[in-house]
Amino acid sequence: MTADRAGGGEDARVAAGRRTCARVGGSDSTGPARQALLTAEKLAVGYEKAAPVLNDVTFALEPGERIAVLGPNGGGKTTLFRALLGELRPAHGTLALAGRCASVPQTERSRLDFPVSALDVALMGTIPGRPWWRRPSRADRVAARAALARVGLADRAERTYGELSGGQRQRVLIARALVQEARVLLLDEPFSGLDATSAARLEALLAELAGEGRGVLIATHDLEQARRWDRVLCVNGRQIAFGEPATALTHDVLAATYGGAIVTLPGEDPGAPHHAIMPPHHHHHDHAPPR
Amino acid sequence: MLEPFQLPFVQRALVELLLLALLAGTLGCWIVLRGLAFPVHGAAAAAFPGLVLADGLGFAAPLGGFGAALLFALAVGRLATRGREGNDTLTALVLVAALALGIVLASDVFHSAASVESLLFGSLLAIGAGDVRLAAAAALIALAASWLLGTRWLASGFDPAAARSLGVRSPLPDACLLVLVALGAVAVLSAVGALLATALLVVPAATTRLLSSRIAGWGLATVALAAAEGIAGLWLAVKLNAPPGATLAVVSGIVFALVAATRTLAPEAAT
Repeated sequence: MTADRAGGGEDARVAAGRRTCARVGGSDSTGPARQALLTAEKLAVGYEKAAPVLNDVTFALEPGERIAVLGPNGGGKTTLFRALLGELRPAHGTLALAGRCASVPQTERSRLDFPVSALDVALMGTIPGRPWWRRPSRADRVAARAALARVGLADRAERTYGELSGGQRQRVLIARALVQEARVLLLDEPFSGLDATSAARLEALLAELAGEGRGVLIATHDLEQARRWDRVLCVNGRQIAFGEPATALTHDVLAATYGGAIVTLPGEDPGAPHHAIMPPHHHHHDHAPPR
Repeated sequence: MLEPFQLPFVQRALVELLLLALLAGTLGCWIVLRGLAFPVHGAAAAAFPGLVLADGLGFAAPLGGFGAALLFALAVGRLATRGREGNDTLTALVLVAALALGIVLASDVFHSAASVESLLFGSLLAIGAGDVRLAAAAALIALAASWLLGTRWLASGFDPAAARSLGVRSPLPDACLLVLVALGAVAVLSAVGALLATALLVVPAATTRLLSSRIAGWGLATVALAAAEGIAGLWLAVKLNAPPGATLAVVSGIVFALVAATRTLAPEAAT
């Protein structure tokens, strides 16, 4: 992969004074003095001239970190991701990126009936590195195959995308992000609809990618999963909390994040009760605590 | 059996159809994939008053048709490629308005009502050298454009939201596709007319879509099918003394129905 692809689309996204992008070398991510991949300071984002839908967001993503982004639907998770991708400009505050962000959308948002192979989808990740009239080069194909191999799908490269399992499709979309040489991955509820095996495999992959010095932001509703990651960012129109899961995920924080849709489950240890969120579409009896 | 193809005007029609099969194979796949079938129909209809105008005012007919089709494609097709709702209604409105305007212009302003039928349904057996040149140019341009821009057309159709963040933000590739739609609609006018344009530009690609899982194979299959349908339709039209454009459309429609029925009844056998 060429060096100019890593920053090719980056400069165009710089919004004067508000959003800054610095180029960092790929090799110094493992050095001791690590620069944050992403820093938000009192960030507010919204649409057009309307009032911001997400306010007062201050957090940093260090290389190697996985941050769970928790919040109700409509709480601003998608808006935050769109700001990180450069689709929305900060209304207030600053956002600094030290590497390319790539989105890994939910697989149902793509057309499953499309006549494309897994390799074709991964190749779409090479588009940002080329002028619009240029075809994918041999190097682009090599990079796309390498990314598929990286997510464990080397033997599925020629398969039709829509015929892959949900977990495999999610990994193809991660490969597409890796082809962009993204240092920050934004995943939108990647575990929804996956069976336990696929979910475990995906979680292991995310751990490996973080281990390579990438930063991973994962929008999720699963508190148990969020507890296993490095930090949590709770948003509900504004930032409710940011920090390590053990200290940040208090009952008060969860109540402020999710409103009434939170229940306390008695765990084995009575001193550390578990919290669970009831997504709006769930039936109440599914997660109701035993009497 | 093959004696119809010894007639010079039938031979010219055959060349025209084979060139248009090339166009239908490349452009048709993108039209079907990006949901532009109705805008294509609208663009061809929009070309109709343009042709009448050109005819009445005495300038090159394809130019008038292309201008009107392009105006339409860029206005309506933009909405369609972005997946906006409501563009079907707009397409239908413009389609009706264009047809009405063309008829009024032809019968009351320029008094050229005699040519209305050939403008609407084509005149495949009265193809001129200019029509063949236009078909060849359109086929070449469509081939070159899909070679260059295919991956981007694919990416922005695959998931438009992610395509934005992938940097497929330039509107140029999609605009090129819409220009091609207008060009394709005008190129098929002389063969099948404003009302049957989709018989060439949509139906063959929609038929092979049922059997294809890759864009390249789909394109090749569409070229082959469109050529076969063109030859069969032309032969039948001469043999039965039927209008060739309409015969071609009927043949394409029957083939589509047969393939779709086979797919539905025996989904395994058809692949």
